[in-house]
Amino acid sequence: MGFFILSKKNRVLLGELVKTDFKLRYQGSVLGYLWAVIKPLLMFAILYVVFAKILRFGDEIPHYPVYLLIGTVIWNFFVECTQQGIHSIEQRGDLIRKISFPKYIVVVSATSTAVINVSINICVVIIFALINGVTPSLSWLMILPLLLELYLLALGISLLLGAINVKYRDIGNIWEVITQAMFYAVPIIYPLSMVMNSSVLAAKIIMLNPVAQVIQDIRYNLITTQAVTSWQIGGFWFGLISIAIVFIVLAISILYFRKRSKHFAEEI
Amino acid sequence: MSWSSDKYLKDMKEEVEKQSENDKIAISVQDLYKSFKLPTERAWGLKQAIFNRLKGIKGYKKQEVLKGINFDVKKGEFLGIVGRNGSGKSTLLKILSGIYLPDRGSVKVNGTLVPFIELGVGFNPELTGKENVYLNGALLGFSNSEMDDMYDEIVKFAELDQFMNQKLKNYSSGMQVRLAFSIAIRARGDILVLDEVLAVGDAAFQEKCNSYFQSLHGNQTVVLVTHSMENVEKFCDRAILIEDGKVACDGKPSKVTKEYLKLWS
Repeated sequence: MGFFILSKKNRVLLGELVKTDFKLRYQGSVLGYLWAVIKPLLMFAILYVVFAKILRFGDEIPHYPVYLLIGTVIWNFFVECTQQGIHSIEQRGDLIRKISFPKYIVVVSATSTAVINVSINICVVIIFALINGVTPSLSWLMILPLLLELYLLALGISLLLGAINVKYRDIGNIWEVITQAMFYAVPIIYPLSMVMNSSVLAAKIIMLNPVAQVIQDIRYNLITTQAVTSWQIGGFWFGLISIAIVFIVLAISILYFRKRSKHFAEEI
Repeated sequence: MSWSSDKYLKDMKEEVEKQSENDKIAISVQDLYKSFKLPTERAWGLKQAIFNRLKGIKGYKKQEVLKGINFDVKKGEFLGIVGRNGSGKSTLLKILSGIYLPDRGSVKVNGTLVPFIELGVGFNPELTGKENVYLNGALLGFSNSEMDDMYDEIVKFAELDQFMNQKLKNYSSGMQVRLAFSIAIRARGDILVLDEVLAVGDAAFQEKCNSYFQSLHGNQTVVLVTHSMENVEKFCDRAILIEDGKVACDGKPSKVTKEYLKLWS
């Protein structure tokens, strides 16, 4: 897709913006970049105490702590990516008003900090997995295409909602509420098998969400084949639906963004 | 698939290639129209937008800013653009720079155009002077190696050698402006577009800028928007006066400044 082929000039610009974003992110904090790792670990610790120790979710799942950790890491990546992306155009308004450049660079650069963070976090998860006694295997490599799928979804959402957000600043708030709700609609803290025990249909609906599909597929490949994937509950064609959703969202977003971005400088 | 602004630039490039026999023209502006939709009622939110739609309010009125602008800039020419506030000078500059798309008409640019609608675009107080120079350079379309070549000159012109590894927030405002200004005038582009950015810094620095601008004569294409008639007469080879979205006067600086002053008499 020509959309993502950058000229040399634009690659330099993207590189500089990413560098700046990353440098400034933890500016002035004592622990600096370590926060990229500490934050998801703390979030994991809370969820672990509440759901694994007190509510005793996931007793039947092997390596449940790692299972929970990878879920939160992937979820955080999705949330961080979309929230940075959606607000990126509005935040870079000063540049857009004064310089001519392809506007999607702003969105890509804003989401790339999340990509750097998730890469660091995946390394932490792998160390955890090894300590927890998960056997390494080649299927771990499947994480890469699955993360790419999730990134494309997050990028699509960022482009679409980011473009709308230029005119209607409500979108940022609405999306925050939607992600809050989605957190419970994605099997992060509870095992999907719990839902399946009461309703297979509900489990199927949950798994239509690409975020849920990616999280379960990564767990399946990384930790345990006991993680229920969408292929298992609905078969091959059912498994393709969520992937199709990603590409449909991305295609619509690109078309809409291309149409709107010409007018950002005037509207922002 | 390609992006609109890339495509826009490509179209401009093709047009320019066709014109290569007419090599002496740096910028050609033909029959340029631009209007803005000004919101009559604030519609910053969905709620307001829906209400306006229900009440049948269009929510904006159209304001014509440019109404058929025509002019050429020759290579090596120093062109001044003058006009009263709100006459459309900055809009014109933004269209030349590819920031706004015109409603109608065409802009052909022959060579690379470096726009300075504002000095120090993207400057970040938390970055060092050096980092800001490279960031600003990337925003203006220069690669890192091009910036490496220009860097020493920029620092020397700004007289900030010892401060380049300090964060920008520790600079005085004069120092910040000097750095931004030095990038602007040291940036190597075929065409320089400046919006009201002359005369910064103290007297000594201003003197340096003056002699620099005078040395540009004939070697560098410059488009300068300014309210200072003194600068127009001092630097420009030619000037145009924009009034009510049209070119009201085009010619020698002395003639145009006279017309400009007549606007108030």
